[in-house]
Amino acid sequence: MVRVRLTYRLAVPVLLSFSWILLVGGGAAKAAEDGQWTMPGKDYASTRYSGLDEINAKNAKGLHPVWTFSTGVLGGHQGQPLVVKNTMYVVTPYPNVLYAFDLSKEGYPLRWKYRPVVSPNAIGIACCGLINRGASYADGKIIFNLLDGHTVAVDAETGREVWMTKIADMSEGETTPMAPLVTKDRVIVGASGGEFGIYGWLKGLDLQTGKIVWTGRNLGPDAEVLAKPGVFNSHYDSDDTELASKSWPQDVWKEGGGPVWGWVSYDPDLDLLFYGAGNPGPYNTEQRPGDNKWTNSVLARRPSDGSLVWAYQFTPHDSWDYDAASVLIVVDQTIGGKARKVLVTFNKNGFQYTLDRATGEVLSAKPYVHVNWAKSVDLKTGRPAVDPAKETGASKGMVKNVCPSLEGGVSPVAPAAYSPRTGFFYTSINNLCMDFGATPVARIAGTPYIGAGTPYFLGPDSKNLGGFIAWDATTGKRVWESPEPFLAWSGALVTGGDVAFYGTLDGYFKSVDAKTGEVLSKFKVGSGVVGNPITYRGPDGKQYVAIYAGIGGDPDLFSGDVVSGDQTDVRPPSDFMKDIGRHTSQGGMVWIFGL
Amino acid sequence: MKSGHKLAAALPILALLATTSYVRSETPAEAPLPAIQPPSHIAAGHSTPPAGVLTNPYKGDADTAAAGAEAFASMNCDGCHGGGATGFAAPSLADGRWRYGDSEEEIFQSIYYGRPKGMPAFGGVMGADGTWILVTYLKSLPVPDNKTQSWETP
Repeated sequence: MVRVRLTYRLAVPVLLSFSWILLVGGGAAKAAEDGQWTMPGKDYASTRYSGLDEINAKNAKGLHPVWTFSTGVLGGHQGQPLVVKNTMYVVTPYPNVLYAFDLSKEGYPLRWKYRPVVSPNAIGIACCGLINRGASYADGKIIFNLLDGHTVAVDAETGREVWMTKIADMSEGETTPMAPLVTKDRVIVGASGGEFGIYGWLKGLDLQTGKIVWTGRNLGPDAEVLAKPGVFNSHYDSDDTELASKSWPQDVWKEGGGPVWGWVSYDPDLDLLFYGAGNPGPYNTEQRPGDNKWTNSVLARRPSDGSLVWAYQFTPHDSWDYDAASVLIVVDQTIGGKARKVLVTFNKNGFQYTLDRATGEVLSAKPYVHVNWAKSVDLKTGRPAVDPAKETGASKGMVKNVCPSLEGGVSPVAPAAYSPRTGFFYTSINNLCMDFGATPVARIAGTPYIGAGTPYFLGPDSKNLGGFIAWDATTGKRVWESPEPFLAWSGALVTGGDVAFYGTLDGYFKSVDAKTGEVLSKFKVGSGVVGNPITYRGPDGKQYVAIYAGIGGDPDLFSGDVVSGDQTDVRPPSDFMKDIGRHTSQGGMVWIFGL
Repeated sequence: MKSGHKLAAALPILALLATTSYVRSETPAEAPLPAIQPPSHIAAGHSTPPAGVLTNPYKGDADTAAAGAEAFASMNCDGCHGGGATGFAAPSLADGRWRYGDSEEEIFQSIYYGRPKGMPAFGGVMGADGTWILVTYLKSLPVPDNKTQSWETP
C-alpha cells in the first residue's frame, strides 16, 4: 500500500490530456493536501476535492464500513462532518448537538459533546424540515448555527462555548440552518425564510467575540444593501443606484424574502465572498411586480465590511421559486482561448452558469437538465429568454408542465464538486417537473408566506427521477451519468484517486469512477442520504470517507410515509415517488468507510 | 382553592401539604380556573382537575366546516400542514391522529394558544370564534379507513 503525502496534484499526463484546465482558483486550494476537512466545501473555493489518492478506481471495490454512530436525532442530516487533526466534529440537525470524536482511539469515543439550548419554536418556523448544513473550523473554534437564529463558537479542544450571538428573529420567520464560512476574522452567516416573507441578509461577525460587525441586506435601499458608490458595479445595469429597491413596489422588499440558505465561497486573491440569495416572496408574482433584485442572485461582498462589489440576478421576477442558493465554485478555466477567473454554479433553474468572478459577467449558461421556462440566457443582457406561457401568477391559474421543478435541476442542498485532475464537475441532478398554481396570500409574521400549489411529476429526460453526473463546463455537456431511480439529494466528493462519491435517497452510499461513472462500490446505509461525503487521512495514515445517513429536509415533505417517529403523523405515499417509503425511513447515522 | 381541596381529599400526602401555606387555600374565590379540561390526559389518582369547559358553538355544522377550509388557507395553515391538512413540514391533521388530544377543546387549545413544538398561537389574529371555525373544519375531515398499514401485501 502506497501512502503519498500529496502536494496538490496536477499530474503532467492530466495537463496534457486536458490542456484547457488551469489551476483551481483560490490560494487555499493550492496548498498541500493536509488530509483534513476544516470547512464545509473543503476549501474556500468550495471544490469538495481532496488530493488524497490512497482510495482509487482500482481498489474502491474494497470500500467497507469501519465505524458507525447513531446521532440519536431524526431530522435531515444535511451537511458534512469536519476533521481537524485527530478529531471528527459532527453537528446534528435540531437540537444541534455537536459531537467531537477522538479518531486516535479504538472505537472513536467522544472527547466531549456540546448540547446547546435551542428554542423548539424553530420546529415551526423552519420551512423545510429540521436540518443543519454543517460547521466551520477556524482559530481553534468550531462555529455553527443553531436552528433558532443563533451562531455559536465552541472551543475545539474543550467543547466549552466561547460565544453565542443571536443573529436572526424567528418571530419574523427567520431560521438558520446554513453553514457559516470563516474568512480571516469574519464569520459569515445568513438566514432561511424565503417562505416566510423575511427581509433577507448576510452578516459578518467578529471571529473573536461573535459581535455583529455588519449586516448587508439582499434587497432594499442601497444603504441597507451596502451598495456604495464607486465600490458597487452591476455589469448589466447602466445606472447602479437603488437597483434593489427600485425593482420592487414601494416597501414590498421589506418582506420580499431573499434568504441565504446555501453555501458561501471566497477568493482570497480578489478578497471577495460569493453567495446566492434565495427566492422572492410570495410565490404569487402579482404581489411583487418588478425584477425583485437581488433575489435569485449571486452577490459578491468584501468580508471586512460587507460592501457589495457586484451582483447578478439569474432569474428576474421569479415565477417558479428558483432560489440561487447552489454552491458557487471558484475555479480558473480557459474559455474562448482566454484564461478566466470564474464561478461555476448549477442553478435551481436548470442552467449551469459560468461567470467572471471579478465582475459578474455571464460567460456561459447551458441547461444541465431539461429546461422549458426559458430557451436560453442572453449573454449580452444577462437575461433569460423566458417562455411567456410558463410565467405564473394568481390570475393565470394552474400553469402546466414547468421544468425543472422548484426543487431544482439539483437541490442547492446538494453541492457539486470539481476535480482539477479530470477538469469535470460532479453533481446530483433531478429529472423533475411541476405544475404551478399561484394564489393570493397575506403575510402574517411568523407563519408561512407562500401562495402556490405545485404538484411534481417525472420529467421527460429519462425514466429515472434522479442521477449523478460528470459535467464539462467548458463545453456545457454531460460527460457521463449514473442514473438513480429516486430524486438525488446528496452532495458530491471527488478525490486525487479519481473516485467520486455520493449517496442516494433510497439509502445507498456509492463510489464511482470519476472518469467513466462506473459504480465501484455501494452500501446501504440505513436511511436516505441528504448529506455530503468528505474524505480525510486518519491518525493511522489511512484514507477514510465519511457520510451522514438520515433523510429529511424537503424529501421528508414530499416523500409521503418515510416518517415513523411520530405516531400522530401518518401520510399516504408520495404521488410522484410512490415507493420511496419502502426503501427508507428517518434516522441519523454517521458512517466511515475505508479499505 | 378548589383543586387543592379535591386533591387533598384524594391523597393523604397532599392533605398534609394543604395545611401549609404552599397550597394557597387562603385565596379560594379569586383564583382563576387553570385553562381548560385536557380530556385525553391520564388524571393522577383518577382525579380530574376542575377546569373551564369549552364547547364548540359550531360543532358538526357543515357550512362552518366549509368556511374553516377557506380559513385553513387564508391563515397560512396549509403552508406547514399541507393542502387538505395531509401533512408537510408539520404533521398531518387528516389522519385521525392528534399529538395533543383529539377532543374539540384540545384542538381549540392547540390553535388558540399554540403548542411548544413549533405551533404558533393563532388566537391573537383569529379570536375564539375563528378558532372554532377551524376546529369544525378539521373535525369534519374524513379519517382514512386503513389507519395502521402503509402498504397492502400483494
